[in-house]
Amino acid sequence: MNQTVTLNKVEQKLRHANRKHARLYLFCNFTALMIISAYSGLMFSPTIQTAFPSGGDSRKQMNVIFILTLIGCVIFTIYAASLFFRHKSKQLGILMALGASRKRLAPTLFREILLLSSLSSISGIIAGFPFIWIIWNLFRLLLIDSTDMQLDFDFKCLPVSLLFFTLVLTFTCFTAWRYLHKTNIMEVIREEHINEPVRELGKWCGPAGCLLLAAGVLMGYWGPSLYCDLANVMLPPAWMNLLYAPAFAGLYMIMLHAVVHGFRTYKKQPYKNILSRSMMKFQGKQTVNNMIVVALLIAGSCFGIFYIPVTAVGSMMKYAAQPYDYFYCYRADQSIPDESTVRMLAQKHGLRIKDWERFEYITLGYGGITSVMEEDGIHFHEEYDRILSESKTLSEDTWRALSGMDTTVRSGTYLCITNQEQTSYSVSPYAEHITNMVSREQIATKYAGIAVSDFSSLTNTPGCRILNQKDYDRLIEGLTDDWKGFIVRFNIDGKDSYAFADELYRLLVGSTDDTCMVTHYYDRVNKTITNEKGDDWWGDQPSEAPFMRVNPKQINSISFRMGWMYHPDFRILNQNDFLLSTSVLLMMFLFIFIVCLMTALVICYTRCQTIALNNRYIFDDLRKLGASPDFLAKEVRSQCRSVFRTPSLVGMTIIYLIFILLLYGNDWQLVLTELIALCICLGILGIIGVCIYLIYRLTVKNIIKKLKIR
Amino acid sequence: MLYVKDLYKSYEAGKNKYQVLKGVDFHVQHGEFVAVMGPSGSGKTTLLNCISCYIPFDKGAITIGETNLAGQSEDMLAHFRNTKIGFVFQDFMLLDGLTIRENILIPRIIQDEVTPDAEELANKLASLFGISQIMDKYPAEISGGEKQRAAVARSLINHPLIILADEPTGNLDSKSSRAVIEAFGEAKSRMNATICMVTHDSFAASFCDRVILLKDGTVYKQLENGGNQSQFQDDLLSAIKKMNMEI
Repeated sequence: MNQTVTLNKVEQKLRHANRKHARLYLFCNFTALMIISAYSGLMFSPTIQTAFPSGGDSRKQMNVIFILTLIGCVIFTIYAASLFFRHKSKQLGILMALGASRKRLAPTLFREILLLSSLSSISGIIAGFPFIWIIWNLFRLLLIDSTDMQLDFDFKCLPVSLLFFTLVLTFTCFTAWRYLHKTNIMEVIREEHINEPVRELGKWCGPAGCLLLAAGVLMGYWGPSLYCDLANVMLPPAWMNLLYAPAFAGLYMIMLHAVVHGFRTYKKQPYKNILSRSMMKFQGKQTVNNMIVVALLIAGSCFGIFYIPVTAVGSMMKYAAQPYDYFYCYRADQSIPDESTVRMLAQKHGLRIKDWERFEYITLGYGGITSVMEEDGIHFHEEYDRILSESKTLSEDTWRALSGMDTTVRSGTYLCITNQEQTSYSVSPYAEHITNMVSREQIATKYAGIAVSDFSSLTNTPGCRILNQKDYDRLIEGLTDDWKGFIVRFNIDGKDSYAFADELYRLLVGSTDDTCMVTHYYDRVNKTITNEKGDDWWGDQPSEAPFMRVNPKQINSISFRMGWMYHPDFRILNQNDFLLSTSVLLMMFLFIFIVCLMTALVICYTRCQTIALNNRYIFDDLRKLGASPDFLAKEVRSQCRSVFRTPSLVGMTIIYLIFILLLYGNDWQLVLTELIALCICLGILGIIGVCIYLIYRLTVKNIIKKLKIR
Repeated sequence: MLYVKDLYKSYEAGKNKYQVLKGVDFHVQHGEFVAVMGPSGSGKTTLLNCISCYIPFDKGAITIGETNLAGQSEDMLAHFRNTKIGFVFQDFMLLDGLTIRENILIPRIIQDEVTPDAEELANKLASLFGISQIMDKYPAEISGGEKQRAAVARSLINHPLIILADEPTGNLDSKSSRAVIEAFGEAKSRMNATICMVTHDSFAASFCDRVILLKDGTVYKQLENGGNQSQFQDDLLSAIKKMNMEI
């Protein structure tokens, strides 16, 4: 010992002694920042931005889960920082009690937390990029690879991580400041041992929480559309999102009930698990907060993984149900390969075409109801337009030949073609006029019902309608080739070949000119009418224009394969390329699943460790009172079970019910593909449950080892 | 040396306010070894925490030496705690990451004044309290009695005006308790230290010059030690018995 021993050096030594606690803080902070950095890096990458249509449901889902993960990480980080300070407080308090002033302690304390926070945050942010790169390329290596999956980063994502980093710094500095400014030094010293009991509510809070949760979800889901209908507005006001608030209150009450009372009744054995229940109760505040975050993250992870079966099952079943191997439409003014060319191509691949048929269709303008915004920019009213949108149109005779059904359409009426589940969005019963867009010949009409087809080319937007033969003949008069088109269908005699389908697909794309390189959203009728009125068509606005056209050079991209209006229905191509053409979407949701589940499990693991280690003196006392290792291990298991089980079950149940609601709410029915998807989702929940159970076992084993129970 | 005059202190728990000290008056002379006793909830620890400037008090005056603690700045109170008061806690409050030598020297380290004299004093105190052999050990490696004697040594390193001890024998077995009380005795006799100790232990209190009995936040009675330790302990026990019967 000599004069060079300073408070700084002593604090350095104390930091070394407390490195275990610092390590936990570093780990939590690093993990949170890495997750945020990886998620935002992926979300803002051009790869994902291109694949996820702006304003589309998939992007909204991705954003919502990101916000959920962000909230989870914020709570998790705040918890880790609080934990670090709780351990640090005794040391701080002793130094304060022995006369170290705030001014004396502040510089080293702030230096330490700034160093720890910055080090863990910056390394977390940096690690996020290799983390996502490794996962993404593992996906490519082991699951799917496509040209779309070239992962690029856009450093626009950095502000999110940096904002989070600033939040971490602000919170830790504020906590340090708060500790230094406590007037009661004894409180600082004893902070580590202060319990955090939750405010108990009666046993009613569990059932009431379930009701509130259900009410919040239902109100949040249906409230905005109900409001729009009642108030005649296009978009619900932002405050309508508050309708979800009861769901969060409900979630809190359920977790509170689980921590305070448990979901089992102890009437017959009031002393059963009393120790673990009481230990949980007195660590309640943080436990409840953690459990809410875990429930939300598990819900987010399930939401991500459910996307895959829900998307895949519907598509695969649809492809399998196609009555013909090849089915495609094209405009009559395009130089599409004729029958002999296609047959020769098939021959080249050793195939023989059978059942070749070609049918004519025309594109007409149909009347409909449009929403007109009022001057206040909020309310709207509905108006009927005689010419509103385009639709493919078949004659009664063509439909009979195409479908084999003996359908009759009365003159002055039309039928809409829909899919087997009758969920096609292009069915519109409001048209009262049909117009030839060249001669402007117009006839009055009336909706007369639906006809069913298994080809998405006929049921996707802009849809297809059937007219009485006489009405059709009248309206085709004077139509130019660009308003006419053909439908081709054929089968392969024997086993089909992917190479043929792929070559024919590329031939079709290569033979189609730029005027047909448009998406399903492109409506020539609506554009023509709007332009004729001297207005700009909404689809020509700079923000919308990119979503109206497809690029034939990106023939393998999701946007081309899912968006092109003339995309053919080739069974073998669709079946083989489904994963390829949706790979980025599937991978993003798979990534969301992994990240959310990983975060949830890390939080559970950390929380269990904290509860057990904070209560280690109780375990020591119990051991002295003669408790056997089996008894102590049972107590550890009981505590960990509550932390893992309740939020997992609640998260999984909530999201499963929400998915049923979403699928049902789409078209007010659950069709076969949706039911199968829900069964698969149930199976996935089982697998997730097993993963959670394994981590729970690992946590218990680890705690038992740390507490030296065995 | 220590003057406590009309001291009031209350705590708030939710909507309820609990008056713990209700006008406490007493003083401790230089070189005196005084114990404060009383039943649980009588305000002993609160009184000691107020004197230590660990918690602010509502009303009254505390004077140590020439300094009135009321209305002093945080920085001044910290400096005062460091240089003029020595502390001994029930649960020792040694810093786990430092050796016993470093723990003893902590009040000096806070001042950045670890001179060879201070090190010499640390060694002397260690020798006085029989802990020389554990100076380079860490708190986790020594017994409770040794920890508390190290805490007593720490409390003396700055030659404080007064040592405040809160239940110093509360966590110790009888042998260790005796060693700690003897350490206080050594500090008093060899260094002329002034000691104010809160305790439940009548045996420990019987070594003191005077015992102040607290009841319901006020001074109930003060008893002087006539020189016979055993007799004084008996007197204490009967006074406590009588006090407990007066509900």
